[in-house]
Amino acid sequence: MKQYTFYPGCAYDSSGLPIRLSIEATNPLLDIELLELEDWTCCGCPGASISELGGLAVATRNLALAEKMGRDLVSACSCCYRNLLNAHQIYTRDARIRAKLTEALAAANLKYNGGARVRGLVDVYVNDIGLKLISSKVKKKLNGLKVACWYGCHQTRPFGPDDYESPQWMDWIVTALGAEPIQYPLKTQCCGGAELMSDKSMVMKLNQKLLDNAIKHGAQAMVTTLCPLCFTNLDAFQRHFNSETGKKFNMPIIALSQFMGLAFGLSPKALGLDRNVTPVKKVLEPYYSTRMEARV
Amino acid sequence: MESTHAKYIRQAKSFVDQVAAEPGGEKINECIQCGVCSGSCSTVEWWEYTPRQIIAMIRAGMKEEVLSSSSAFHCVSCYLCTVRCPRGIKPASLIHAVETIAEREGYRPKTKALPLYRIMRGSMRRGRIWDFGMAFTFYMKTNPIDALKNFPVFVSMTTRGRMPITPPRTVKGAKQVAAILDKVKAMGG
Repeated sequence: MKQYTFYPGCAYDSSGLPIRLSIEATNPLLDIELLELEDWTCCGCPGASISELGGLAVATRNLALAEKMGRDLVSACSCCYRNLLNAHQIYTRDARIRAKLTEALAAANLKYNGGARVRGLVDVYVNDIGLKLISSKVKKKLNGLKVACWYGCHQTRPFGPDDYESPQWMDWIVTALGAEPIQYPLKTQCCGGAELMSDKSMVMKLNQKLLDNAIKHGAQAMVTTLCPLCFTNLDAFQRHFNSETGKKFNMPIIALSQFMGLAFGLSPKALGLDRNVTPVKKVLEPYYSTRMEARV
Repeated sequence: MESTHAKYIRQAKSFVDQVAAEPGGEKINECIQCGVCSGSCSTVEWWEYTPRQIIAMIRAGMKEEVLSSSSAFHCVSCYLCTVRCPRGIKPASLIHAVETIAEREGYRPKTKALPLYRIMRGSMRRGRIWDFGMAFTFYMKTNPIDALKNFPVFVSMTTRGRMPITPPRTVKGAKQVAAILDKVKAMGG
C-alpha cells in the first residue's frame, strides 16, 4: 500500500464529487492510500490573478502543513497542483519573495522550510503504480472505444512533468484499459476555468472548438483529467452551451478515474457516473458488467 | 529643467520598475518582442492589446492605457505563453502582475472578470471555497439575467449533489488564512 498526503481542493466535495467518488472507489484496487491533509485550506488560486502574493501565501500555508507529514503531497485537481507547486518553486528559488512569504506566514505562526513534494494523482498512477498493475486490474477491457484524452492546462503546464505540447500519460492509461486514444490537435486546450462566469461567450467558444475538434478526429467520448474545473465546464455546461448556440453536442465527459473504474468492473453508481450531467449511458452501457444496474 | 524626452524616459522606467517589482513581472526587460506569447494565447482574439503589445506598452510607459484596458483580464491562465516563451519570461504571471497593479491602484477596466476575482479572493477567507455562494454573489452583482439563463445548469448540478447550497463547514485554518491575507495586504501585496 503506497501512502500519500492528499490535498483534495475545495471543488472536490461539490462540482468534482463524481471524481471524488471514483478516486475513492479505484484507490484500494491500485494499492493507493490517500491520507487527507488535516486542516487544509484553499490553494490560493481564486483571485491570485489580482493578488499574486496573496495567492502564493495562502498556498504556502498548505505546504507548511504538508511538509510536516513527510509524504508526497498529492492533488487530483490540476489547478491546486499547479498553484501549490508554483508556490513551492517560487519559495525555494526566489529569495525576495521568500522573505515576503515568510513574513506573511508568520502572521499565522507558521513557517515553511521548502520540504513539500507536490505531485499530481495522474503522475502517481503512471510512475508509482505503473501501467502494468493498472492493466492487471482490468476486468472488462474497453475494447473498441475511441476516446479523446483531454489534458487541459495545469496538469502539464507550466510544470509538467508530462510533455506539455503532446502529453501522453492519460493516453497510456486508457490504452492499458483496452480503449483507443485518438490523436487530435487540441488535446491540451484550456477549458476557460472560472472565466466561465465572467466571460461566457469566450469560454463557450473554447469549449465548442474543443468538442468539435475531438469529434472530427473520431472520439466517441472524452476522458478528462481529475480536475473538477475541466470536468465541470465540459460536462455540466455542454447542454447549456448548445441551447445558447444552437449546436447539438452530446459528448459523454468521463473523468479518468471513472474510466479506470469502469474497466476495473466497478458499478457506475460507485464511480459517480449517475452524477455526470451529460449522459454517458449511450456510449458506456456495453461496458457495464451485467450484474450492475444499467440505468445510469 | 527636465526635457520632455527625459521625462518620458523617467515615466516609462518607473512603470517598468513597478511591474518588475511584482511577483511574475521580474523579467520584463528580457522580452525580445517575438510574439510567441500572443500567437500561443488561448483567448487572444478577445484582447484589445495582445500580450506582446502589453509588454511593449509597459516598456513605453503607457500606464494609463495598459491599466485601464480590459485586455489582461481575458487571461485564462492556461500558461501556453509561459511554456513557450524563448526568454523564460512567464508572460502569464506578468499579465497577472498587470491585473494586480490595476486592481490595487483602483483602475476599473470594463470587464466582469475583475469583480469576479475580487469575490473569489474574498471567498478564500472562509478557508474553503463555497461555489454556490461565490457564483450567487457574482451574478447578483453583475448579471442577474445570466443567472436566470444558467438556472437549468444549477438545477442539474444541485440535484446531483454537485452544487451544495449550504456552505462547507468552516475549518480551523480559516482564521490563519484571513490573518495571512491581512498581512499580505498590509505589506502592500
